[in-house]
Amino acid sequence: MALVTLTIDNKQVAVEEGTTILEAAKTIGINIPSLCAWPEIKYFPGACRVCVTEVIGQRGLIASCVFPVSEGMVVKTNTERVRTARKMTVELLLANHPAECTYCVRSGNCELQKVAEMVGLKQIRFNIPDFQEEGRFDHSSPSIVRDVSKCINCGRCVAVCDSVQTVSVLTPSQRGTEVRVAPAFDMPINESNCIACGQCILACPVGALYEKDQVDDVWKALNDPTKHVIVQEAPSIRAALGEEFGIPAGTLITGKMISALRQLGFDKVFDTNFSADLTIIEEGNELLQRAKEGGKLPMITSCCPSWVKFCEHFYPDLLDHLSTCKSPQQMFGAMAKTYYAEIEGIDPKDIVSVSIMPCTAKKLESARPEMNSSGYRDVDIVLTTRELARMIKEAGIDFVNLPDGEYDAPMGEYSGAGTIFGATGGVMEAALRTVYAVVTGENLPNLNITPVRGLEGVKDATVAVGELGDIKVGVAHGLANARKLMDEIRKGKSDYTFIEIMSCTGGCVGGGGGPIPTNNEVRKLRAGALYKDDSQVQTTRQSHENPSIKKIYDNFLKEPLGHKSHELLHTHYTQRGEDLPHKE
Amino acid sequence: MREPITDKTIPTMQEVPFFALQDLRVLKNRGLIDPEKIDEYIARDGYAGMAKALTEMTPDQIIQEVLDSGLRGRGGGGFPTGLKWKFAAGEKGPVKYVLTNADEGDPGAFMDRSVLEGDPHAVIEGMVVAAKAIGAHNGYIYCRAEYPLAIKRLSVAINQAKEYGLLGKDILGTGFDFELEIYQGAGAFVCGEETALMTSIEGKRGMPRPRPPFPSVSGLWQKPSILNNVETFANIPQIMLRGGAWYASVGTEKSKGTKIFALTGDVHNVGLVEVPMGTPLGAIVYDIGGGIPKGKRFKAAQLGGPSGGMIPIEHLNAPIDYESVEELGAIIGSGGLIVMDEDSCAVDMARFFMEFCVEESCGKCTPCREGNKRMLDILTNITEGKGKPGDIELLEEMASVIRDASLCGLGQTAPNPVLSTIRYFRKEYEDHIYNHHCSAGVCADLFKSPCQNACPIGMDVPAYIALIMDNRLEDAYKVMLKTNPFPSICGRVCDHQCQSKCRRGKTDEPIAIKFLKRFITDNAQRPKVEAIPVTRKETIAVIGSGPAGLTVAKDLAIRGYKVTVFEELSEAGGMLRWSIPAYRLPRDIITKEIDDIRALGVEIKCNTRIGKDIPLSKLESEFDYIYLAPGAHTSQKMGLPGEELNGVYGGVEFLRDFNANETAWTTGEKTLGAKVAVIGGGNSAIDAARCATRLGADVTILYRRERDDMPAAIEEIIATEEEGIKIEFLVAPLNIEGKDGKVSGITCKRMKLGDFDRSGRRRPVPIEGSEFTLNVDSIIAAIGQIPDLSFLPENSDISINRWNTFDLAEGSASQTTNPKFYAGGDALTGSDTVINAIAAGHQAAIDIDTAIRIKNNEDPYEAPKEEEIIIPFELDEDNPEAPQTKMPELHGHERKKSFIEVELGFTLEDALKEAKRCLRCDIELD
Repeated sequence: MALVTLTIDNKQVAVEEGTTILEAAKTIGINIPSLCAWPEIKYFPGACRVCVTEVIGQRGLIASCVFPVSEGMVVKTNTERVRTARKMTVELLLANHPAECTYCVRSGNCELQKVAEMVGLKQIRFNIPDFQEEGRFDHSSPSIVRDVSKCINCGRCVAVCDSVQTVSVLTPSQRGTEVRVAPAFDMPINESNCIACGQCILACPVGALYEKDQVDDVWKALNDPTKHVIVQEAPSIRAALGEEFGIPAGTLITGKMISALRQLGFDKVFDTNFSADLTIIEEGNELLQRAKEGGKLPMITSCCPSWVKFCEHFYPDLLDHLSTCKSPQQMFGAMAKTYYAEIEGIDPKDIVSVSIMPCTAKKLESARPEMNSSGYRDVDIVLTTRELARMIKEAGIDFVNLPDGEYDAPMGEYSGAGTIFGATGGVMEAALRTVYAVVTGENLPNLNITPVRGLEGVKDATVAVGELGDIKVGVAHGLANARKLMDEIRKGKSDYTFIEIMSCTGGCVGGGGGPIPTNNEVRKLRAGALYKDDSQVQTTRQSHENPSIKKIYDNFLKEPLGHKSHELLHTHYTQRGEDLPHKE
Repeated sequence: MREPITDKTIPTMQEVPFFALQDLRVLKNRGLIDPEKIDEYIARDGYAGMAKALTEMTPDQIIQEVLDSGLRGRGGGGFPTGLKWKFAAGEKGPVKYVLTNADEGDPGAFMDRSVLEGDPHAVIEGMVVAAKAIGAHNGYIYCRAEYPLAIKRLSVAINQAKEYGLLGKDILGTGFDFELEIYQGAGAFVCGEETALMTSIEGKRGMPRPRPPFPSVSGLWQKPSILNNVETFANIPQIMLRGGAWYASVGTEKSKGTKIFALTGDVHNVGLVEVPMGTPLGAIVYDIGGGIPKGKRFKAAQLGGPSGGMIPIEHLNAPIDYESVEELGAIIGSGGLIVMDEDSCAVDMARFFMEFCVEESCGKCTPCREGNKRMLDILTNITEGKGKPGDIELLEEMASVIRDASLCGLGQTAPNPVLSTIRYFRKEYEDHIYNHHCSAGVCADLFKSPCQNACPIGMDVPAYIALIMDNRLEDAYKVMLKTNPFPSICGRVCDHQCQSKCRRGKTDEPIAIKFLKRFITDNAQRPKVEAIPVTRKETIAVIGSGPAGLTVAKDLAIRGYKVTVFEELSEAGGMLRWSIPAYRLPRDIITKEIDDIRALGVEIKCNTRIGKDIPLSKLESEFDYIYLAPGAHTSQKMGLPGEELNGVYGGVEFLRDFNANETAWTTGEKTLGAKVAVIGGGNSAIDAARCATRLGADVTILYRRERDDMPAAIEEIIATEEEGIKIEFLVAPLNIEGKDGKVSGITCKRMKLGDFDRSGRRRPVPIEGSEFTLNVDSIIAAIGQIPDLSFLPENSDISINRWNTFDLAEGSASQTTNPKFYAGGDALTGSDTVINAIAAGHQAAIDIDTAIRIKNNEDPYEAPKEEEIIIPFELDEDNPEAPQTKMPELHGHERKKSFIEVELGFTLEDALKEAKRCLRCDIELD
């Protein structure tokens, strides 16, 4: 790429052609505030106008986030005119934004707050309206809450919903001051095609979108002496929770997390990784069964609840490609209220099963009516990573200095395969390790299947699996990428045997329930921590080698895909379609 | 041809200024062809330009021709069309688009609609040429769905053109293909913005996107595209046919060709007008538009629709082209031109246009979405009387940021009306904010009724009119006296600003408020006046016993002050008595009202000139405050040779002398001679002329402008004409001829009207060689009055300006630069009306009293409780259109020979009939 030389604030700078003014300024240590642009998904609407700069020769001020540099350009980022405009713009935004910062879910982590500081805002000269409760909140979804009043119309949620997830639930409606981001016809979000992935929450610079907070439900259960409260944590929690306490992204904090949970008062601290291993046994055997018995192929993973819902809405005709396996969360729940209750002699009605997920869709999943195979809700309460962090802070726990704790038996033991479920390609890698072993009776020569790792949108690999021959597997994350694979299947052109789909970019490490910010850099670091857990921390790296898993089949389930498994660990799907509104 | 009944010649179309001054190029087929018949279009050179372009010209040559024409985008941006095409032509790639913007959304603009409905092929032809120039084979016309006829005619035209091989595949056998489709817009104003329009065609929400990339590089579906407005394309065929040089032969240096304007608003002739670029605004408004109806004054023209700006009266000469208009803070836009008269409120207009932009903002970018709404809130507050100090400055700051930082043209231009109204009408904003007053009588929250609002002293007009209907004339009198010490004088000589704002005037004619006022004072029992005891220690001197001085005296006497009025002349009344003749204002009327003020305890010392009979220093030592209201008793000099001759009078000097020595004049002891010339067009000139007529002279008024420009009251002008006085318009005196030290004649020059002056009137320009001499015995020069302030010693510390009137202390409405002295009336404002003098008196009384109380650390004055007068509310639903009731008058020579009051006053029947016409705007119904 050709280099372009320009002058910013009297400093010469040479950057690649096509660089924006904002990026060019950053290279010489000038931070220009910005709210709406999101380079990672190529979203440059030029809408918020906070990043304006003066470009000599241009009539008006220029949105630096989107304006490309050109040879000889002269930019001023810090003139009276620029400062006045930025201040006024932020002042206008704040004048139409509830002044509830102190108890806002994004307090201290709000981009608008940060930008107000960056532009040196000192006053709001306009009346801040009374924000009426009516119509302000959309609590209809079990996963996501919308607060229309806090929305600053940056459009990032719209962009991610549209271009990354291709769900297009959130769109701007009305115009002018009436403009609001909402599902079509302003319908409640649970009546829309929303898949509850929560990527919109990660996109939101303010507190206009957030998870449905269930912290109080957990406190209530913990305070109830008649309840036996157990907890499971998804793989990626151990790679992300630390960020909420200032620990650098990519640090494994498994032991501190266990200690914190115990200190919060959970009766047993278990692990979703355990049931991830269980999932691999079931799912691997299902794949083999389909392959051998001429079942529907390619088979597609079903761990990701927003992917499942996406498929129900947009590819209802292809639902039989989905594995019938419940997700690890739900398998855990089902086992807790049967197997665990049985061996511990606890009445399952007294068990409160809590899960900690990097995911908002898991709340929705746990609420699905069919998820009650034990006769009780498989999982009672789902908290996101962020909610757990809030609980820990509320309890006054000094997380950073906590000693490492140990998981409880019998559902706390896991393999490296279980832990990499949290990264895109991880389920595939874990499954292949076990499938290979089951088919060939030997371990894969190299347990690391690197082609399915990383942030490339669609990945594939071909593995020779003994008598099954070459198996072509595909991995997609981000539903725009999933559509590519699904459209091939629909056209009958797919040559994959097995496909892993995760809704969120990067897989669960990029989940909508994770710490904010979540960006590609952070996603890579979190995934790295999981691969480290797999390769360096765990003693076993294959699900079928997990002793607790062996025990559960010996003592309770008897065999993969057996009668009990079928009853407790497998599920079915609903053809939902795209027609609105959806009323359950 | 002649009209059969009136026998007047019927002018040809080219003799009617509305048509004569237009230059029809885009509209050349207007009304002449059937737009649904392609043959008729072809018969008038249709598709000849395209044929030439396709068969004889290369794309480069086409672009060069358009560049040579100087054509600039007619949608509002004014970007050179040829340049836009050149950029797109330079882009590589097989797919490009030519788009027409027919999403005309400015309120009141219908240029594009007219072209599309009346001459659709012109647009299609222009688009094919553009397509050839840039190498496009597909095009869209983005037309708003609210134009069903335009869409129908376009569809017919497209089909016909295809049938004739003028559109579609292999056009004219040249091998060039161009397919054209109509895309219907859903009516969002923002979709007139080019990137929003393209996004809308793409099937997405019509919102603008940042540029670069520019559409010529990456437009519709990321392909190189050009978007031009309907009018722009409609210009192209003739540019092809006749050449760029022909096109550029009219217009200004940087703005070539013609532009269509949608002329509308307060103007006689509304409609589409196509004029050469650079035509002065005044020519469009007055010559083509026929001026402002109902004798109202032009206030401003809004150019460029809701995102344009206003051009006020002082810029009527401005040439309408892109640069000049922008310099004045407006834009040509798509050509909306709304004329506003004096009854339009600048703040309300800004609010109205801002409301439009707020509703039409797409909501994408912050400054437009949030900022414009906030500006609207502030503007709405101001129009509702809730404006705050600092609002104007905040509006200015916001406007400049929104202009500077918005994403697209809508936001960038939305604050224009606010900025331009602040620029030209800041005083109106201040009047709204600080005085809660809307001088135009528009912002209804600021007043009870428009008449009361227009009255400088806020007389409760609907109340006393309602009381007439109820036959409670004494109560009506009392209502009037609450605000006006001189209702019977004002019932005769007030300039009745109230009537000009009367809502009834919008349907037929305003209520005769002045006559009704007089009716009350003529027929009611005068309310008894009792002396008011002096309760305050401070004493006040008033210099001058005119309406300003006596109002101060009355108001302060009521507040318990001892007031003494000093009058140089032999009787009190000031300009009322000494300038206005008795046939308009009988002497006893003045005397009665002044006697009422005396009765309060005010002492009036006549024949006492300050500086001569009493030194000012004596007053200063004896009184705490002194109010200066000496009037304007000196006529302005004409500055002509011969002005010193005998027989040359100043207007006020003549009137004063006549009023002082009426017998001498009527008996012929003093005489003006047989022939008299009066110079001037104001009320004094008329008074002098009518007096001179009554003294038997043959009077001619010489006025340098036209009748409509005369500052005198229209009824006075009519009365003058009725009395047989000649008025020579467009005549200016040059030289006074004399013989033996006495006037013998006056040499004048005829004038014609030139361009507009700052008052919006056309400037008289001498016609060379038109001199003529009028033989006269006397000349009365009534071209203006100035105060005589020579009674003030030089060391008075009272600052006097170059108009020989008082300067005021900063921030005060009546205090002079010497804090002991207050001033008002004509000596403060220059020659002005009675009612304004009364208003000044009220103001000064408040200011003096407040100053005293502040000094004494007292609470502010509280008026004693007044007798409550219940105002009836009976509104006759059946209020048919009816003209104003005529004032009965003296007629014939009876009137010409005497100084008896001309107007006889309403009868009870007249008064009831007239009062019934009142619409009672003061009543608020829930």
